[in-house]
Amino acid sequence: MGLLSNILFFPVTGPVAGIRWALAKVQTVVEEELTDDTSVKQELMELQLQLELGDIDDAEFVRREAALMQRLREVREWRERLGKGVSGGLVRVARDDDAAE
Amino acid sequence: MADSQATPVDVAGAGVAPDGGKYVYCIIRSDRQREFGAIGIGGGQRVYTVAFHDLAAVVSDTSIVIYDPTRENVLAHEFVNETVMKEHTVIPMAFGTVFRSEDDVTELLRSTYQAFSDVLEKMQDKIEFGLKVLWDREKVIANIERENDEIRRLKDEISRHTASSTYFARMQLGRLIDSALEEIGQRYVNDIHDQIKPVAVASRSNKPIGDRMILNAAFLVDRAQEQAFDERVKETSRKYEELLTFKYSGPWPPYNFVNIKLKLEKAD
Repeated sequence: MGLLSNILFFPVTGPVAGIRWALAKVQTVVEEELTDDTSVKQELMELQLQLELGDIDDAEFVRREAALMQRLREVREWRERLGKGVSGGLVRVARDDDAAE
Repeated sequence: MADSQATPVDVAGAGVAPDGGKYVYCIIRSDRQREFGAIGIGGGQRVYTVAFHDLAAVVSDTSIVIYDPTRENVLAHEFVNETVMKEHTVIPMAFGTVFRSEDDVTELLRSTYQAFSDVLEKMQDKIEFGLKVLWDREKVIANIERENDEIRRLKDEISRHTASSTYFARMQLGRLIDSALEEIGQRYVNDIHDQIKPVAVASRSNKPIGDRMILNAAFLVDRAQEQAFDERVKETSRKYEELLTFKYSGPWPPYNFVNIKLKLEKAD
């Protein structure tokens, strides 16, 4: 019955549900990208390794480092905006009785 | 709110006055107030201790900002820990940890007293070393092509166009080489681990950085074995002199071996 009703109503329930699902997925992926600092940190580590190995000079390092810092700041802003935890910055011992911020 | 402050890039060394915040570098055991000199982050701030019973947090005064993990800032943080480590067992704090006041720092020590004490006990006289091993991929491939019969034969056939289908033969060659690379890489990594493990207390592998790295490991070493560890790493690197580059660093505070969940939340 379930499958039949899906097929019978396919033009209506099929693609709409499909689109809704796809949009939700796109939103999740976009949100993940905006709030993920792992890849930026990975790039930072690669950059430092390049400096260490002598593949790049100081001037280039400083230039690219500044760009990565900017991206880290953007990720942090997005994380705060979307209510996700941020590391670093002003902290205090968590109080159990506090309501969630 | 921290975000309304000047960006940390401006703060570092630009003489912005601290406003009561405390940047925390590490936790140590200490029976009295300690001074570590003007080596703090943000332009050489005075580094000192905030105590609670026999524990102390090593801190410097700071304005309430979020510090960018620039090389300059990270080196300042590391240098403080390195200095403190010379005379103390150290539980390192994550980069950029700032508390609003001395009271908040004392609260941290009070609330996590037992866990800190236990870890300081466990980490007594233990230091961490980092070992990164890189290879020259082309060199390793050249070796593989020389020593692996199947691969060498296939390469010959391709160059002489005797393979019935060069396209597929090339794909096959690529696959064989990738697979050989993976196997050899794993063999090197296992051998290096086997050589070094006996002189270490513990080890941990992290994700390699970039595509030349085959090993990115941290080793926890007892101070009594520091010499033996050093010699073993040098021996191993000599063994692989032609093919592998060993990048060896430390001693570090035991970043990779301390596992305390600090119940911290963002403050405003």
